[in-house]
Amino acid sequence: MTAPLITADRLTRHYVVGGELVRALDGVSFDVREGEWVAIVGQSGSGKSTLMNLLGCLDTPTAGRYVLAGTDVGTLADDALADLRNREIGFVFQTFQLLARATALANVELPLVYRGLPRRERRERAEAALRSVGLANRMHHRPNELSGGQRQRVAIARALVGEPSILLADEPTGNLDSQTGEEIVRLFADLHARGHTLILVTHEPRLAARCPRAIRLMDGRVLGDGPGGELASAGGGRVPA
Amino acid sequence: MTGFLDTLAMALDTLRANPLRSLLTLLGIVIGSATVVATMALTEGLRIKVTSDMALLGNAAFVVQKWPAPGFGDQDWARFAQRRPLTREQGEALRALPHVAHVSIEDNLDRPEVIATRERATRPVVTVVGAVTDYEEANAITIGEGRFLSEVDVALGRRVAVIGADVADALFPGGRPLGREIRIRGVPFEVIGVAARMGSILGLESKDAFAVLPWTAYELALGRPRDHYLGVVATSPADVPRAIDEVVATLRRLRGLAPFAENDFDYFTNDSVNQTFEGLARLVGAATLGVCALALLVGGIGIMNIMLVSVTERTGEIGVRMALGARRSRILAQFVVEAVTLSLLGGVVGVLLGAGGALLAHALVGVPASVPAWAVVLSLASASGAGLLFGIYPAARASRLDPVEAMRAE
Repeated sequence: MTAPLITADRLTRHYVVGGELVRALDGVSFDVREGEWVAIVGQSGSGKSTLMNLLGCLDTPTAGRYVLAGTDVGTLADDALADLRNREIGFVFQTFQLLARATALANVELPLVYRGLPRRERRERAEAALRSVGLANRMHHRPNELSGGQRQRVAIARALVGEPSILLADEPTGNLDSQTGEEIVRLFADLHARGHTLILVTHEPRLAARCPRAIRLMDGRVLGDGPGGELASAGGGRVPA
Repeated sequence: MTGFLDTLAMALDTLRANPLRSLLTLLGIVIGSATVVATMALTEGLRIKVTSDMALLGNAAFVVQKWPAPGFGDQDWARFAQRRPLTREQGEALRALPHVAHVSIEDNLDRPEVIATRERATRPVVTVVGAVTDYEEANAITIGEGRFLSEVDVALGRRVAVIGADVADALFPGGRPLGREIRIRGVPFEVIGVAARMGSILGLESKDAFAVLPWTAYELALGRPRDHYLGVVATSPADVPRAIDEVVATLRRLRGLAPFAENDFDYFTNDSVNQTFEGLARLVGAATLGVCALALLVGGIGIMNIMLVSVTERTGEIGVRMALGARRSRILAQFVVEAVTLSLLGGVVGVLLGAGGALLAHALVGVPASVPAWAVVLSLASASGAGLLFGIYPAARASRLDPVEAMRAE
């Protein structure tokens, strides 16, 4: 067995809000292997956003250990975190988070800009990424000239362009109608089939049910970890939709 | 290098997104730069003009009078007013000194008069001078037509006149002024010479509006001068210090000054006038720099304000950039480059406006102007300096944002 891509070992994140200690994450442990498609599911307040920020190297844990692709993230300084995000993480956000003034191509190039790649290589790789999400003929459009689904595809191309270890998607279908959302889910399934490691954070049990594996969070702890379909049917009664 | 070009491209992109706001923000910087360049252009033009005008006077000449050179310090004019006048005899006595070539003795009061013929009259701005023959050399007069005053004209008090080119133009538009009659306060004089055109002082006051009469005839028409102005020409430029020594010693003796008493007259050379001008130019320069510093301060605060607004507006964008792997230093650089680009742009606009304004003033009114390269460099450097200084704080704020918090701001 090779070492897991992600090791979360008793991950803990506490905040102090208004003098009160908030245990957003309270000792969460799991592994993710390369090529897995994992849903992290839970209601708002369950700690899934906090977990996503930790997994995305946007935040560091109060206690516990997080190892990503062999790097112990908890010990890193800001610049090293930024570099790690740039290399290892591809983010897909609920609200797309594209730069409004930049074309699709420029948006997709951005992670490579911060990696310091030369202009030509950036362009070639960004074009390839946009083609791979089916936007070959929308490269020079700005976000406001694209539909919601197309915007999310641009965001996915941007997440893929740097060839990161994991694709980290936060409610990727939350701002899309059900049909467009379905297209995006199929795109994820396709990426999974191509061998990408996907982590999908969502509060929708139906979406989690589509994933081979789901980790259910509640009150900052792991409530269940198993095949997505199983969890959806088992947990459906306990968690109001 | 790719990094810098990318940062610059991002900055320009942002500025293009808000052209009007960028322009308004720049106003302070634009005004500052325009002020510096325009003032420096006019001062430089004035300096060139003063230098060339002084050269025309000849550098062997100096002036003796009871008043000090026109300066800009606080001088005790009441004290100078009490000094005894310089007399014609004292002036005449200088002529014999070994290193003095010429002494022009003139009324120390400028006499703007109307000069008339039967048909025409000048505007009342013609300076009438009662002169000795040395006036020609001391004032670097070149005769265009006819001749200058002779010793005989002066000795006999002949009613003859040498007129400047402006006077000839005004009174004898058809030409041929020689031998014609002109009247000053009703007294007729015959024109015996017309001076070659000399141009104008600093492009404003004409040097050709004058009439020179023998002092003997001048006193009949206009009265005796109460005080005299002595224009002394040394035997050579190198002899000026010696000539000054001789003149001072002679005047002290003739005016009966005690050995340790202060001179009760003043002398000044072209050099000292030049120095006075330089002092003035420095004063103007310092005042301009003050205005400029103030405008840059205002402009810089404008830049800081707009950059803070920009950081707030683009908080989400900053968060995304950080999530995608931008280091904090990269965010800092992006906003600093934006601020510097913005203010440099203001500097360029200001330089163009300032230089354009000065050159336009030159073309329209004839004010001398010359745009010195160092003023352009100074303006642009201080504009971008202001951008750097006032851009750092907003940029630092942007770079210290927490990516998670920043992305939540929508």
